Order: sequence, then C-alpha cells, then structure tokens
Amino acid sequence: MNKKVKTDSPDVFIEEIEKIQEAIPKRIDANPQNVEKGLAKLVLTLVELIRKLLEKQAMRRVDGGSLTDEEIEKVGETLMKLENKMKELKEVFGLKDEELNINLGPLGDLM
Amino acid sequence: MKIYAYGVIDSNCRIEDSSKGIEGGRIYNIPYRDIGIAVSDLDGRYQKNINPDHVLEHERVAEKLMESFAVLPMRFFTIFKDKEEILSMMSEYYDSFNENLNRLRGKLEFGLKVIWSGDVIKKRIAENNAGKGQSKLLSNGSPARNYIMEKFEKYKMNRQFEKEGHRDISAIDEFFSGFAVEKKLDTLKSDKLLLTASYLVEKAKQDDFKQAFERLKKSGPDGLKYLFSGPWPPYNFINLTKPEFKKA
Repeated sequence: MNKKVKTDSPDVFIEEIEKIQEAIPKRIDANPQNVEKGLAKLVLTLVELIRKLLEKQAMRRVDGGSLTDEEIEKVGETLMKLENKMKELKEVFGLKDEELNINLGPLGDLM
Repeated sequence: MKIYAYGVIDSNCRIEDSSKGIEGGRIYNIPYRDIGIAVSDLDGRYQKNINPDHVLEHERVAEKLMESFAVLPMRFFTIFKDKEEILSMMSEYYDSFNENLNRLRGKLEFGLKVIWSGDVIKKRIAENNAGKGQSKLLSNGSPARNYIMEKFEKYKMNRQFEKEGHRDISAIDEFFSGFAVEKKLDTLKSDKLLLTASYLVEKAKQDDFKQAFERLKKSGPDGLKYLFSGPWPPYNFINLTKPEFKKA
C-alpha cells in the first residue's frame, strides 16, 4: 500500500473492490468463440433493465394504492413470468445476475 | 516504434526531467500550439509485458508532471502509432484540452471510499418491517398476489436502506463541503460499498482537506470504514467534448 492511500481496513476494501470490478467487465466480450454469449449478455441486460423499471413502477403504484385487486393479479403474473423466463435464459447462456450490466464509461454502470 | 502518452500539459516547452517512463523510455513533450503532450517511445515488446508495475510507472510519471504543469492524465496504456496521429488528436481536441487545463490548473484530486455494515442494516430493517405487518396488501392465496407482496416487502426494505445510506453519505460529504471545488459521488455500488467519492481540491487547500478527513474519522457516522487516497492528478474531472458534438 503506498503512502498516498490511507485505510485501517485494506483487506475489506480490496475484497469489495475486486468483487465489483469482476462483476462488471469494461467491454462487451464479442469474439468469434463466444459471440452468442456476448450478444445474449447485451440483450438480456437491456431486458433486465426494462424488467426492473416495470417492477419499480408497479411497486410505486402498489405503494400509492392505485392498483385494483384485478390489476395486482395481472401485474403479479406478468412480472413473475418475466422473471422466470429471465432465469431460464440466464441458465441457457450461463450468465449470472451480476454479469447483466454494462459499463458506460464516464456515465458509470447501466444498473 | 509506438508512442505512449501520459498526459496533456499546459506547456509547449521541453521537459527538463531525466526520469524514465514505461519500459525505460525517456519522457519528452510533443508540443502543439501553446500546449503539449508528455510521451515516451515504446518498442514492440510491450504487449507481452503489461503488468501492475506499468500502472505504477504511469501514475508516477503523471504525478511528476503534476509538480510542474497542469496535467490532463491519459488513461493507462494510451498508445499512438506515431507522432502524426498524436498531432491530429491534439488538433482535434485542442479547444477542449485548453478549457480543461484552465479549469483544472492548480487543482488535485482526492478519493474516498466508505464501507458500511450494509448486511447488518438490511437485516435490522427486515426485522423491523416484519413486525409491522402488511399495511398495503393482504394475501388471498394467489401466487401472483403473493409474488407482488414479496416484491413489495423488498421494495420497502431497499427504500429504507437507501434512505439510511444517503443520510450517512450527506453527513460524510458535509465534512468536505468547504474544501472541494467539484465532487463526484457514486453511491451504494454494492450493499457494503456505501460511497465512492472523488473531490477536486485546490492545491492550497489540500492540507485543510486532509484535516477534514481526520475530523471525519473522529466524529463522522458510526460503524464506517474509510479508504482515503490522494493527491492524484484529476483523472475523474476531465470533461472532454467531442468536436462534432460541440458544434451542434
């Protein structure tokens, strides 16, 4: 550790930073050997973003009490099916939850 | 022979420094109008040899430049194929480089990372919420409704978690508010990593800034772990505008 870095808990920080960096690659890996997985990762990341937005919007409406019982059923079923389908697709392409993200350079991470 | 770039500097003069850069190359300045770019030559072997020492070399050179010039440090391993390519880049970005050099002259960057007991806090919130019961939704046994109820509990917990996180972040940031001219706060990157902050500080105020950190350690929010670093060249405060966007 050089003298410009001060911390009482270096191990804790190293572990956490490594964990975050490993999860989010800087570039989309699209070489001929695994182009399918690279593309799936990109597409599933975008689907996951939309799924999370839908879920958040639904939660806001539940919180605000603006959904009828029938709407809650419908939204619940839709979100549940979407989540299950995502689980299937992640398994097919061997992707983990934390891999579904894109580093947008100076803008930070997508999610 | 390729050219390795360390940073754009606010001088078109010769660099009077005998220190070496990556792979032992001599550091020199390629001038463009009234600014320049500090570089060293690189032979073809470098690609096989990239290692952590190169990162430290790059940083050492950027810091050395910072002692004498305003510097816009380049990203690690920025390589140009020849001088012509460098001059073309300098010509294209000259206005933007100049704006940044003027804005960042005499300023340094400090970094702060903060870890909190996110897992413990989440557990505590979940326990508290469990005691309160369902206020918005009642189960009717349908899987879809149960799914929404479960998600809503998580949503409430995350909202409370973020609220508590941002309360601590504001308290931390308050310690530095009088000493930084710009800041970038990246919050809750993970449950544990509460804050990753970069602060831009005038050179004259760097000791005040360091003292603010000492005060934070003594009297900041409880249960936090800190990693404080700097001064660095202002890596996180360079705002380059692509020329074609600027005209629009």
